[in-house]
Amino acid sequence: MNWKTGFVITAFVACLVPLVSPNYMMTVIIEALIFGLFAMSLDLLVGYTRLYSFGHVAAYGLGAYTSALLLLHFNLPLPIAIILAVAISMAIATPIAWVCTRTHGVSFAMLTLAFAQLGYAILYGFKDFTGGSNGLAGIPRPEGPFGLDFFQSKIGYFYMVLFCLLGSYLLCRALVNSPFGAVLAGIRENEPKTAALGYNTRAYKRIVAIAAYGFGALAGALYAPFAGFASPELFFWLISGTVLIMVIVGGSGTLIGPIIGGVFFLMLENQLSEVTSLWPLIFGSIFIAFVMFAPQGIWGLLTARFTKPPVQPGSDRDGEAARAHS
Amino acid sequence: MPILECTGLTRRFGALVAVDAVDMAVEPGEIRAVIGPNGAGKSTLFNVITGVLAPSAGRARFMDETITGLPVEQVAQKGIARTFQLTHLFPELSARDNARIAAQARLPGRMKLIGGASVIAQSVERAEQALDRLHLSRFADVPANMLSHGDQRLLEIAMAVAQAPRLLMLDEPTQGLSIEETDRAVEILREMLADGDLTVILVEHDMEVVFKLAHRITVLHQGRVIADDVPEKVKANDEVQRAYLGGFE
Repeated sequence: MNWKTGFVITAFVACLVPLVSPNYMMTVIIEALIFGLFAMSLDLLVGYTRLYSFGHVAAYGLGAYTSALLLLHFNLPLPIAIILAVAISMAIATPIAWVCTRTHGVSFAMLTLAFAQLGYAILYGFKDFTGGSNGLAGIPRPEGPFGLDFFQSKIGYFYMVLFCLLGSYLLCRALVNSPFGAVLAGIRENEPKTAALGYNTRAYKRIVAIAAYGFGALAGALYAPFAGFASPELFFWLISGTVLIMVIVGGSGTLIGPIIGGVFFLMLENQLSEVTSLWPLIFGSIFIAFVMFAPQGIWGLLTARFTKPPVQPGSDRDGEAARAHS
Repeated sequence: MPILECTGLTRRFGALVAVDAVDMAVEPGEIRAVIGPNGAGKSTLFNVITGVLAPSAGRARFMDETITGLPVEQVAQKGIARTFQLTHLFPELSARDNARIAAQARLPGRMKLIGGASVIAQSVERAEQALDRLHLSRFADVPANMLSHGDQRLLEIAMAVAQAPRLLMLDEPTQGLSIEETDRAVEILREMLADGDLTVILVEHDMEVVFKLAHRITVLHQGRVIADDVPEKVKANDEVQRAYLGGFE
């Protein structure tokens, strides 16, 4: 099955979900899809460029607060507000990416964390504007443009989120398969070599960081109007860790894996937190199990069953390739 | 007119002068070997020319443009491709993708974010040609880290060739190879260079390789050029014999 068929079937099946799911489940499902989108945006950095951001929550929070403020103060049509929120978040991300991509490895992780904490501090520093610890409540979902109002119902919102998720997936997929994406793979594998070949690696890292911020901000911008409020929790550093775990457990460097990871964890959390308060313990155990026994993640486990392992000349298991090699 | 001209090129590390006022001119189409004992400054010279290290003094001109002071990627964009003394590859990517990323480096559409099918097709074609020139076509789909050490060295050269450079700088291409692998690599290199379309600077320890390939030899000793001549004369040079060759015939 090629990926296009798979995509169409998945999209079709996803469209049928509201028909079979009880209404109370829809809230969780929508939040899960939003988190899947958020996790996928981080995969651009982690899986494709091997830039470990420990502050990706900043993208989410930025998108959420920007859309919340736009909706509260300007009463813009919801889709317009979301698009503007993404654009503004990407603009804010530009200088941040400029600074962070001067570094790599641990320094990159620490810098991204620092910027996320800065955002958290700003929320409390400008209470009049951001609502401080109370956050922003009563975020409306104004209709328009062209009289569109389907997103005012929960089912309608589901379709809007699904559309954003599938569209973002297609965009991200095109990005990582483009000439640009090939350079990202080079940076991931060996950055000094990539520079020696003639690529300005920092420019590529900046662009992918801004793109990751954009998709992360889209997730946040979808969340705030859905929940109806934005609280500083959306900027809390712990979420950066959670989403990183979702990417790794889902299968980094696959785009689909992190979506599955995000959806899987949010659904599981919702189900388990109702029966046990030990949920974080289970979350941690799953993470440890994956890192130790299945570092390729959920998607890696699923696809390994259908694809042949690559030819490995020189390995004892592959005598034919070894002979061809000598 | 020389394609590469170094004048008084110097690099100090504290009190150590690794490259000491090196003058060197390489003509188009020439295969130049840079030899010298360990620590003579050969790799440092490479690093200064390619922008990995900034020079402490002097300059290098490439095709009549000063390249010293440029960052490494801009030097590469001028048309200088290099390999490293320790193999530098993209270990988990296939040989084809390694060469493809190299081939794409100087194509105009290299930064296309979406689409770019023609850029990809063009770089894949160039990559496959480069792999073919280095006799690596049958390993095109094999991840680089699964290749033998000798083929990894050749793959790095294929990547440099795929960049379509005007000047190719090879830092000890036969380093760590067995005698058989070295012979094979030299044969492949000789065949590749037979067209004469490439200018090459070659750092090499193996004198047999040097005398088989080079048109002209520059000998470095403690950072200084002690000889710069055709192979026969370098071989006959007393100072070179004392410093390095130790009676190689």
